[in-house]
Amino acid sequence: MALELVVLIKVVPDGKEVFVDPVNFTLNRSMATNVLNPADENALEAALKIKDEHDARITVMTMAPPFAEPFLLECMSRGADQAVLISDRAVAGSDTYPTSLTVAAAIKHLGKVDIVFAGEKTSDSSTGHVGPGVAEFLEAELSSYSRSCKYEDGFVIAERELEEGVEVVKIPTPAVVTVITDSNVPRRATLRRKLDAQKQGIIVWSLQEIGLPADWVGLRSSPTVVKKMLPFPAIERKSKVIEVDKIDEFVKELVETGIIKQGGN
Amino acid sequence: MSEFDAIVVGGGPAGTSAAMRLAANKLNVLLVEKADPPGSKNVSGGVLWGNSLAGVMPDWEKTAPLERFVKSKGVGFLTKDSSIDINFRSSKFSETKTGYTVLRTKFDQFLNKKAKDSGATVVTGVTVDKLAFEGNKVIGVEQDGDVITSDSVILAEGANPRVAIDSGIRPPLKDQDVAIGVKEVIKLPEKTINDRFNLREKEGFAGEYVLGFLEGGVEAGGFLYTNKDSISLGAVISMKHLRENNKTYSFDIIEQFKNHPSIAPLLEDGKVDEYSAHMVQEGGLASIPKLYGNGYMIAGDAAGFSFSNGLILQGMNYAIASGIAAADTIVEAKAGSGISEQSLSKYEEKLMNSFVLKDMHTFKGIGDITWGSLVHQKMPNVLEKVMLGLLMEDGEPKKHMNQIVKEALKSSGLKSSKLLLEGYRMYRRM
Repeated sequence: MALELVVLIKVVPDGKEVFVDPVNFTLNRSMATNVLNPADENALEAALKIKDEHDARITVMTMAPPFAEPFLLECMSRGADQAVLISDRAVAGSDTYPTSLTVAAAIKHLGKVDIVFAGEKTSDSSTGHVGPGVAEFLEAELSSYSRSCKYEDGFVIAERELEEGVEVVKIPTPAVVTVITDSNVPRRATLRRKLDAQKQGIIVWSLQEIGLPADWVGLRSSPTVVKKMLPFPAIERKSKVIEVDKIDEFVKELVETGIIKQGGN
Repeated sequence: MSEFDAIVVGGGPAGTSAAMRLAANKLNVLLVEKADPPGSKNVSGGVLWGNSLAGVMPDWEKTAPLERFVKSKGVGFLTKDSSIDINFRSSKFSETKTGYTVLRTKFDQFLNKKAKDSGATVVTGVTVDKLAFEGNKVIGVEQDGDVITSDSVILAEGANPRVAIDSGIRPPLKDQDVAIGVKEVIKLPEKTINDRFNLREKEGFAGEYVLGFLEGGVEAGGFLYTNKDSISLGAVISMKHLRENNKTYSFDIIEQFKNHPSIAPLLEDGKVDEYSAHMVQEGGLASIPKLYGNGYMIAGDAAGFSFSNGLILQGMNYAIASGIAAADTIVEAKAGSGISEQSLSKYEEKLMNSFVLKDMHTFKGIGDITWGSLVHQKMPNVLEKVMLGLLMEDGEPKKHMNQIVKEALKSSGLKSSKLLLEGYRMYRRM
């Protein structure tokens, strides 16, 4: 029987185009274009690598408004077999708790699952909650911050990149693997698969279809409250070009600006 | 049985026009564009001249994202200290009788959406590798090892025709056939632009300049076009000169242009929003490859259809007209004897009967005139000396104009007999 792999993705505003409003301290996303969350590209690639080695089927999944459709098609164009969009007005305003709950319910609705992949975190909120949250609701094992993983006879063997070093874990399936950004090189979409993806289209599920009551999700079922946003104080940067052969001038400059102190007698 | 009646490679003006025309004739067409979003890899200045787009979109002037229509057209010679400009503005330049400045990222996205709306399958963000052949017949395109089959292919891939070259249906570009275009888009408030260029709402300025002050005698032309709330400005630099002067950098030339005393005030307080560089087709008639074969046609910049005579710089109208002609050729072939080299030869006939190849023939050899030290160095310097002689008041006794001209020519080393000859050649070819 084919391995069932699920990849969770999120469409986020391009981080390079988001800035903090200097007056209200709110995030201004109005100028930003949407992109696939960077770590999710690596999560998809990690799943595709498993599929390269094993008989597997990949389902890409996101919970989002309909604007996420082209991104799901893009994932299919890179090699995913199908895509599910969980789209329901009731989920609007959900924080990571009801989001994990909803996504876990959708995965259960899909049927048997062996490995769920997710990015380590999203670039717009950086909580890193949803992958572990889904593991909790699925009662599945978790390997977070993974830089690579493989599948062997009912187990996932993953390398976790931690501050103190690399930890290799072996966990039984069903398992959730969250993948760190830039841990692999995402493959490119092909014309053939793009055509197939357009033809195939995506699957859209409402809460009703995955059997979740509307009052379990949304803003009112979200415990997180963002009380205030504070910007980092701006760091003023300076630059000065000093020619290579003027080392004395360079040292003098460093001393005068207080970057280094004159020592000794 | 092929998957498509036609595949169009490239989602610029040529490709989208072809796709719209094919889809309007109920053909099953695939349009493939490498950029995502479409237009984001384009460096065109750009002014869309003429009314070609009406062929696929009668209401284009109301629906397309256009910046300003050209009310004022400038041609200028710049020397280090001076500029000698002709600025022609006319109320006879009504909106349909001239050109519109466009920002290609917006404009091309609109064209691709229109192609999709008209029924074409549009795929973006993927680059076709080459044509797929069976014998000498094109049976589709190849991408990453897959063949997508089609009865016919239109290559509208732009100024850098990789697919055509890699498929062996056109020779690689030669230095003399291309120039390097560098461009910046500089943000300025709409009102500031109106004030600086003496324009009203919707009215625009398009200027071409000879940059006669570049170090090492590098030959380059400059352009400056007004958009709604930005200025597109850039330089087109001879590839040959760039190669010969290895201390010359394209980014340096655009800086010199921007800092010129008569250009800098126009850009003051502007913020650079985009910068880009790309090849520009400059080869004229001599560089045009074989335009069709068994199952394929080449349109737009990929076919070398761009026009420049020093006064105007055009490409998009040629692209659109050739894209439409290619599409019509397929429609007619399908309705008649089918796709073959013979039936697609009608494409060239159509172009010969339209401004596309007529202009190329009329202005063949213009490149010898527009590129060369006469236009790029001698003329600007002679003109500057003449104007200074006529207009500068230095307390010395005044001279007759013929004396001023004679002295200016002498100091530039240009013989008046040679000037007459070159002037006559230029007059004839332009």
